[in-house]
Amino acid sequence: MSRVYLYALLSGPPACDTGRGVCAERLRIVATGGLVALVGDVVDAPAPSALTLRAQDAVLRRLATELDAVLPVRFGTLVSDDVALAEALARRQPQLARALGRVAGCEQMTLRVWGDVATVETPTATAGGGPGTRYLAGRRHAHERARRVPELEPLRTRLADLVREERVERHDRPPLLATVQHLVRRGAGARYVDVVNAARDSLRPWRVSVTGPWLPYAFAEEAA
Amino acid sequence: MTAPTRAGARELLETTDDSLLDLVDNLLNRGVVISGEVMLGLAGVDLVYVRLQAILCSADRVEQRHAR
Repeated sequence: MSRVYLYALLSGPPACDTGRGVCAERLRIVATGGLVALVGDVVDAPAPSALTLRAQDAVLRRLATELDAVLPVRFGTLVSDDVALAEALARRQPQLARALGRVAGCEQMTLRVWGDVATVETPTATAGGGPGTRYLAGRRHAHERARRVPELEPLRTRLADLVREERVERHDRPPLLATVQHLVRRGAGARYVDVVNAARDSLRPWRVSVTGPWLPYAFAEEAA
Repeated sequence: MTAPTRAGARELLETTDDSLLDLVDNLLNRGVVISGEVMLGLAGVDLVYVRLQAILCSADRVEQRHAR
């Protein structure tokens, strides 16, 4: 029995042929509750491999050339039928619509920060307060730190006019210290790479690697 | 989900291709999640995740996945 494999949410139905999916199935559009979904009918979701991951990315990249926004869905997402799909999307329609608006006309660049030692930041001492206050202050410090990449400060001002949104993940497991995802205007990727390359000396001892442009995978998460 | 082949998983795990690692990170670790419907908790996919997390992702996410 076939099920519905969900590839992405789209800003609208594409004018071009949707083509075929990872399993060579004919792709189709499901419009429901103000959202437009790209789906295929498959017996099983494809197994993750270099081939299938590249194929799924290629399907979405092809459509992205025709559409203002493509919001990728996590690989392997399968629902029983179109009714189940409509119900799943209806539950978070506002968030999904906002996410589509956020990524419209944009692509993602991925920056990784490398170094031989983890960056150490000492929490600011909390004056007064009991153990509960200190605990909460520590939690707040950890929360804030998880979203900061001080290693990139020399680069921030240079990228400011290119970056629309940012997502940060600190790892602090040398040599990988952090991953930073930037949402940039479509077509700005090459300039972004040039700016990063020009800033490498100012970032020492930290090293950075940059990949992209990607579809805005990292900017779809908050729609969950 | 069709179980990933051993050779396929090895290719994903042992690659030194930055672009492939980013592709794996993007497709398996990001994107819109339709809760309760993602069929990724099966077979060797968790192994792919765990190794990938060690390479690319934060420790708190590894812990989340183990807790599921």
